[in-house]
Amino acid sequence: MSYRVGGRGRVSDRPVTFTFDGRRIEGRAGDTVASALLANGIHLTGRSFKYHRPRGILTAGSEEPNALLQVRRGPGRAEPNTRATVQEIHPGLETESQNRWPSLRVDALSINDRLSPVFAAGFYYKTFMWPKAFWDRVYEPVIRAAAGLGRAPAEPDPDRYASRYLHTDVLVVGGGPAGLAAARAAALPGVRVTLVDETAEFGGALLSEPGTEVDGRQAWAWLEDELTAVAAMGVRLMSRTTAIGYYHENMIALAERVTDHLEAPHPDLPRERLWRVRAGQVILAQGAHEKPLVFNGNDRPGVMLAGAARTYLNRYGVRPGDRAAVITSHDSAYAAAFDLVGAGTAIAAIIDTRLEPPAELLSAAAERGIPVRVGHTVTGTDGRLRVSAVRTAPVRDGRPSFAVRIPCDCVLMSGGWTPALSLFSHSRGTLLWDAEAETFLPDRSPEACRMVGGARGLWGIGAALADGAEAGAAAVAALGRTSAPSQRAVTGDAPGTGQACRELPTDWPNPRAFVDFQNDVTAKDIRLAVREGMRSIEHVKRYTTSGMATDQGKSSNINALMIAADAIGRSAPEVGLTTFRPPYTPVTFGAIAGHHRDGHFEVTRKTPIDGWAEANGAVFEPVGQWRRAWYVPRAGEDMETAVLRECAAVREAVGMFDASTLGKIEVVGPDAGEFLNRMYTNPWTKLGVGRCRYGLLLGEDGYIRDDGVIGRLAPDLFHVTTTTGGAARVMNTMEDYLQTEWPELKVWLTSTTEQWAVIAVNGPKAREVIAPLVEGLDLSPEAFPHMSVAETTVAGVPARLFRISFTGELGFEINVPARHGRAVWDKVAAAGADHGITPYGTESMHVLRAEKGYIIVGQDTDGTVTPADAGLSWAIGKKKPDFVGKRSLARPDLVAAGRRELVGLLADDKLEEGAQIVLDPSEPMPMTMLGHVTSSYQSAALGRPIALALLADGHSRMGERVHIPMPGATLSAEVTSPVFYDPDGDRLKL
Amino acid sequence: MNELARDLLPAATVITALAPACRFSLRIAPQDGVEAAGPLGFALPERIGARASANSVEALMLGPDEWLILAPEAARERLVSGFEALSAVHSCVDISDREISLSIGGPGVLDLLSVGCPRDLAALPEGEARRTVFDGVSVVLWRDGSESFRLDAWRSFMPHIESLLASAERARAADCNRT
Amino acid sequence: MLLIYCPYCKETLPEAEFAYAGEAHIARPADPSGLSDEEWRDFLFIRSNVKGAHAERWRHVHGCGRFFNAVRDTVSDRFEATYPAGVPRPEAP
Repeated sequence: MSYRVGGRGRVSDRPVTFTFDGRRIEGRAGDTVASALLANGIHLTGRSFKYHRPRGILTAGSEEPNALLQVRRGPGRAEPNTRATVQEIHPGLETESQNRWPSLRVDALSINDRLSPVFAAGFYYKTFMWPKAFWDRVYEPVIRAAAGLGRAPAEPDPDRYASRYLHTDVLVVGGGPAGLAAARAAALPGVRVTLVDETAEFGGALLSEPGTEVDGRQAWAWLEDELTAVAAMGVRLMSRTTAIGYYHENMIALAERVTDHLEAPHPDLPRERLWRVRAGQVILAQGAHEKPLVFNGNDRPGVMLAGAARTYLNRYGVRPGDRAAVITSHDSAYAAAFDLVGAGTAIAAIIDTRLEPPAELLSAAAERGIPVRVGHTVTGTDGRLRVSAVRTAPVRDGRPSFAVRIPCDCVLMSGGWTPALSLFSHSRGTLLWDAEAETFLPDRSPEACRMVGGARGLWGIGAALADGAEAGAAAVAALGRTSAPSQRAVTGDAPGTGQACRELPTDWPNPRAFVDFQNDVTAKDIRLAVREGMRSIEHVKRYTTSGMATDQGKSSNINALMIAADAIGRSAPEVGLTTFRPPYTPVTFGAIAGHHRDGHFEVTRKTPIDGWAEANGAVFEPVGQWRRAWYVPRAGEDMETAVLRECAAVREAVGMFDASTLGKIEVVGPDAGEFLNRMYTNPWTKLGVGRCRYGLLLGEDGYIRDDGVIGRLAPDLFHVTTTTGGAARVMNTMEDYLQTEWPELKVWLTSTTEQWAVIAVNGPKAREVIAPLVEGLDLSPEAFPHMSVAETTVAGVPARLFRISFTGELGFEINVPARHGRAVWDKVAAAGADHGITPYGTESMHVLRAEKGYIIVGQDTDGTVTPADAGLSWAIGKKKPDFVGKRSLARPDLVAAGRRELVGLLADDKLEEGAQIVLDPSEPMPMTMLGHVTSSYQSAALGRPIALALLADGHSRMGERVHIPMPGATLSAEVTSPVFYDPDGDRLKL
Repeated sequence: MNELARDLLPAATVITALAPACRFSLRIAPQDGVEAAGPLGFALPERIGARASANSVEALMLGPDEWLILAPEAARERLVSGFEALSAVHSCVDISDREISLSIGGPGVLDLLSVGCPRDLAALPEGEARRTVFDGVSVVLWRDGSESFRLDAWRSFMPHIESLLASAERARAADCNRT
Repeated sequence: MLLIYCPYCKETLPEAEFAYAGEAHIARPADPSGLSDEEWRDFLFIRSNVKGAHAERWRHVHGCGRFFNAVRDTVSDRFEATYPAGVPRPEAP
């Protein structure tokens, strides 16, 4: 049977078919899943979180706690917990109810409802305490499987997501009458105004109240003109866009749903887009949420908010049922009842908790033949999968007397309205208690923010229009502009008043009156929490989980507070509300990640020679943001084989390596040498032009921070190199000292990391390979010895040529302007072909340097290693009065015995990096750990595994045996010098 | 506007890699900056973000003692020798190969750049430039016209920036053509 | 995301262009070797960790590159002032 009402609502006539639990459902274009289900007479949409109680559609908006569905739109496109009240229908959409097995109508775990005394508030804490080991293995997995709602999809998300920054002078959140009026008043030439609404259409309450007239025009006709007008005035209108968080300095995050409502979106369109909006002025016009009444059986399918029923009728043209009972403590439910009577739904009764509702409402009800029962309560409802009756009774002295059963197929309830305060609270706005309305209102915000209309407790469309216009004008006034807000004449407006209720009295022995529908928290649970000692509302919240579901208690917080406050015996403002936190509504991880997935997951920096490595099958590894060639396997080689081959080639002939990622800093100025003297441990004053020196950089705490070779190209010009990962950090540290400690020094720093492509050529044949390419420079050992630098020409390109080595072999580093890097690389490769030149990657570089005992900062050091620990005391300029970190080298704990010192380890097996080292493997646990392995490789040159380690008093343990306990076996190793290969450095002098 | 006219809107933003140019990072104490007019042929701009130019040589002030000099390759020797001869202490470092520039232009350019740049670029005056950040990467954005920008970034970041811009532009174009 | 006024660029700009750089007005001692272990420890490690107005350093790292000082209220997370390095902390308003 169809509950579609001809001639009502704003949805089109075009039928749209989708599925719900496998059943084909016909709705109309413009329907939400909820309105389409209701049009087909379906209220039952799911089972509740804890008790598996049948649940229906409670609201018509994003605050929905019950109607949460699993939604699929093709392979991989699955989302759990989608609110049926938000999801728009389109052909191909598949929806499924959640938390039920085997079916929605017959659910095995509904036994939980019978066991509800067991599952009362705090049951986790009381029930699953013992035995301890059961928690991880039994309780937790079982509870996880039984509770919770939808299932996370298993496939990768095929959708794309996007993000943008947006700057606007005035941001208006909420496209109802208050927001529209604010945007209109703010829309002056040259003022950027943005108006967002989370639904598909602007208009807010106007869409649900078509009987209203504005300036003599029917509400919807006026709305259409007004939207055309604000668009023409340049207002940026963003629908399906939810303001999810309010951050510092008027930064608002918006989540825009771009394609979820489309059947076949363009493949380039993002599914969602996150906007980071910086607004000069913010106007929050999010309206108010209707409160449910708390009564026994208030959660049965068919029970919905009266305002929601009115929206379904007037906006979507759908009746909630044939015979409705209305339960209210507020005038606004009468309007819903009157609209429904006009559309053919019988109103069985209006049950008003108040003794004296306004007389004009009573007579209007009488005119329509609607019986009104004043001063009544609802003691319970009947029905299993759908409400079938309510039981109502007059209240005498706070207790129900004789109850009457009123058959119905739906119940419309209203406990009054509570302003939507979430975003305002994110901004750290303070709240004020309105004792008369018994609700919190916004007070002061530290941001340039205004709350308007229902969001600050002003009821009715006329008041919203006036308040919005005034706020819009005030917002532009704050920007130094003047706007005259329009005055609107509104008729047919019915703001109404009401009375705040606690739990409605009942005579049932074990009432189930729900406060938080999504987390299955009853009024009794809240009172129990207070009885068990919770006094703070934050404790009550956590103990009962009230307000902790994904709806963040939008419909339940005030009811929970009132009940808790009564139980505690303090006033509501004394007890206070729990904190609202972003996001306002659930947000997908995709929207938060935006572009940052797959290839754009993070910045990947590529060298000028990266293209060669890629074309030649290099395997890459990330080093900081760079991707570097890790090893360059030949056909059929695994990593170990490739690395052994590369290492052997460098030791025996020659290898080439892309060292472009090394940090480079041009240090220029008459005080350049003095500056380096102060920064680095080494002395620089006497370094000759054309010479290089290893430089060691400490923090002020005396620990090694970075290292690299520094060459002097002129008295006032140094070419500093840093580690790849340390480049930006070192530059920042140097700038810091220069700008803030020694601004008197005449020296400037320029990063040249990316100016130069760097090709390292290492091996006994290195000179033979590059000599034909180098012009005008004598490369002989006498003319250009180890640790030399010169400006020259290589392969026809101006270059800086260093004779340095990080492998222990004769080595050159050719620096050429980056645009020529690839061409020079190719020429070096060609020149070396006859010598068997072998490109190698970072892994071989690591092995080769480890064979020589050269440290890698960050691998063999960890921020607690001093130069002495690393065996680098020789790099300290003993005569220098000061340098960064010098004073700390005399700190008591840096000169104490027992420090972990860099040593070599020789074991029969390859050790694992990070493995702990002990002296006595038979010591009972916890064993005394003396250090750890920092680097470990299979050495081609030595034909065995080698390792570096940091070991307590390691320098005085040469020759000792240490042990490395590993799963299954304890390995042993001999402590050695960290220099395994060519200890005298003869090969560097070739 | 009818459907056809909407589809024909020149919404596309055009992203083009620019040919390498000659670039220097000039560092000189502000009080000595006047001397740079010798080799440049014009006075250095004196406000961060301001530009000055003559004879195809352009200077942009990036920091209190930092200028970016942009010149055609033909002017390289003249500039290098001119600065070498400067009596005031300074640093003039060749960074021609450090950076790559893109030209980004079209009606959607502000929208497109908002994918990675948190600045309010509508407020950046035409004829000025700023160093800022784009998706975590330091960039210099030059505004040459109301819908015409240049973006300089260190060369290793360019594959990421170009790919991000291209993907964002496809999404933007699809969005513009959405009915 | 905060907004920060750069005293060199003279513009109010998004926090993403800036990097935090620790407490301000802690000068490196002129002669560290003349300091006792305790004095040197205090310079290295001891920070005020105030609740309220806090003098701190920032660098306009994706901008003019300058380090500068700021007074920020650590409770409200609002900047009360920013000023160039080397300038004394402004008096509270």
